[in-house]
Amino acid sequence: MKDDLRNAKFVIDLGPQPSLPIVGSDMRFPVGRIYCVGRNYADHAREMGHDPDREPPFFFMKPANAVVQNGATIAYPVGTKDCHHEIELVVAIGTGGKNISVEKALEHVWGYGVGLDMTRRDVQGEAKKMGRPWEMGKSFDESAPMTALKAAADIGHPAKGAIWLKINGEFRQQGDLAMQIWNVQEQIAYLSNLVTLEPGDLIMTGTPAGVGPVQKGDHLEGHVDGVGDLSIKYAA
Amino acid sequence: MTNMNRRNMLQTAGAMTFGAVAGCATQGVADNAAKTPFSVPVTTIPVVGTNEVFPVRRVYCIGRNYAAHAREMGSDPTREPPFFFQKPTDAIQNVAPGTVADHPYPTLTKNYHYEVELVAALSRGGKNIPIERALEHVYGYAVGLDMTRRDLQRAMGDEKKPWEIGKSFDRSAPIGPLHRVATVGHFTKGAIWLKVNGQIKQNATLNHMIWSVAEQIARLSLANELFPGDIIYSGTPENVGPVVRGDRLDCHIDGLPELSIRIV
Repeated sequence: MKDDLRNAKFVIDLGPQPSLPIVGSDMRFPVGRIYCVGRNYADHAREMGHDPDREPPFFFMKPANAVVQNGATIAYPVGTKDCHHEIELVVAIGTGGKNISVEKALEHVWGYGVGLDMTRRDVQGEAKKMGRPWEMGKSFDESAPMTALKAAADIGHPAKGAIWLKINGEFRQQGDLAMQIWNVQEQIAYLSNLVTLEPGDLIMTGTPAGVGPVQKGDHLEGHVDGVGDLSIKYAA
Repeated sequence: MTNMNRRNMLQTAGAMTFGAVAGCATQGVADNAAKTPFSVPVTTIPVVGTNEVFPVRRVYCIGRNYAAHAREMGSDPTREPPFFFQKPTDAIQNVAPGTVADHPYPTLTKNYHYEVELVAALSRGGKNIPIERALEHVYGYAVGLDMTRRDLQRAMGDEKKPWEIGKSFDRSAPIGPLHRVATVGHFTKGAIWLKVNGQIKQNATLNHMIWSVAEQIARLSLANELFPGDIIYSGTPENVGPVVRGDRLDCHIDGLPELSIRIV
């Protein structure tokens, strides 16, 4: 089947594939899958009503086409009255693998960015109550605004540094990467036992306390020391 | 821009961007036709009776959409409506009719379940699509399997955690080729069954769906904008169950050729 379809024509036009700019390059990073770690900062786990004891990390996903480019103005999402922000460090995988050891995990990282795990909190809450899947609360359109990526070859592997979010100039979330319960290499190792990671996979690594609702007209500014600055507006 | 023009543009720009997965077609461009440091494949599904392929944008799945299956999963279908989840596009495993594809038993599960489903593929999108127009958005249909790591899914559900490790893992979406509506029409009735090693396990009819395909399109389009390339696994009837290495699955929907896999 592979050879027969080498020049196969597409019956519909998907348009350009999701990708992110690369700082300092005219190349773009193609986005494959997006994995998100849940409750990976102790203070956020507590604010969500959970005990942040080191239970195994858990993951959900967003579709690649949920990505929104930095600087965009986006519409307040449909189907919710309680859309929340969650500022996160984004890890971009450049080398795939499965059963990756913690010691070798960072070798699989291509680079880093800053992202927002936008959440339809009311929808997610209903799903949680019923033990149902989270996608309608987490994996909806325009739910993953992200900055351009910086290569690990240029910035190294940030394990500490400020991560914050302001809305309309006021701090809402403030934390430090060192507060992650499971660090980046542990997340990669754990995830790679559940699925085989591929180049192009992104991991959104969790959010500190201070999550809350956005309103139409809000200007969100997110930051991770040494990684980037994200600016997103919600249309009035 | 036609696909021919896109291929030419790729060649002149010297940019090898995306290649297809099972189909191996080299198509698709990043924004602005930029070069990329490596390729991420486009998932495509063959289209019966043509040399063409259907590129996949998103994979939506509906849960608890047959009343007896809802009950066997512990829900009350009269009070709890069906709901949607997703699989990543690369979870698709294309299975050609007349073959028995090797399907890998995944890691970290001791309770790997089959779920036979009708899959609808959309060539038109939209928001707030009215039910009476919904089927106009369908390009074609296929037989599919929503393979499930049942133990992981249940554990996550019990802990009020997301289901992806139970539903959205590698190769979790085997599928036959797409049959165009123009050729086979729409599927609203007829048998849907699954055999394990020649024994019937699931056996129902499509009109047992709680929400029809048209209703699923309409309801999904309220919460997400649908686009060409989106596909919907439309739910499974009762009698889901486990398979182990060596088992052979044969899946049937009236009007479509069977889909067969062997767990390896």
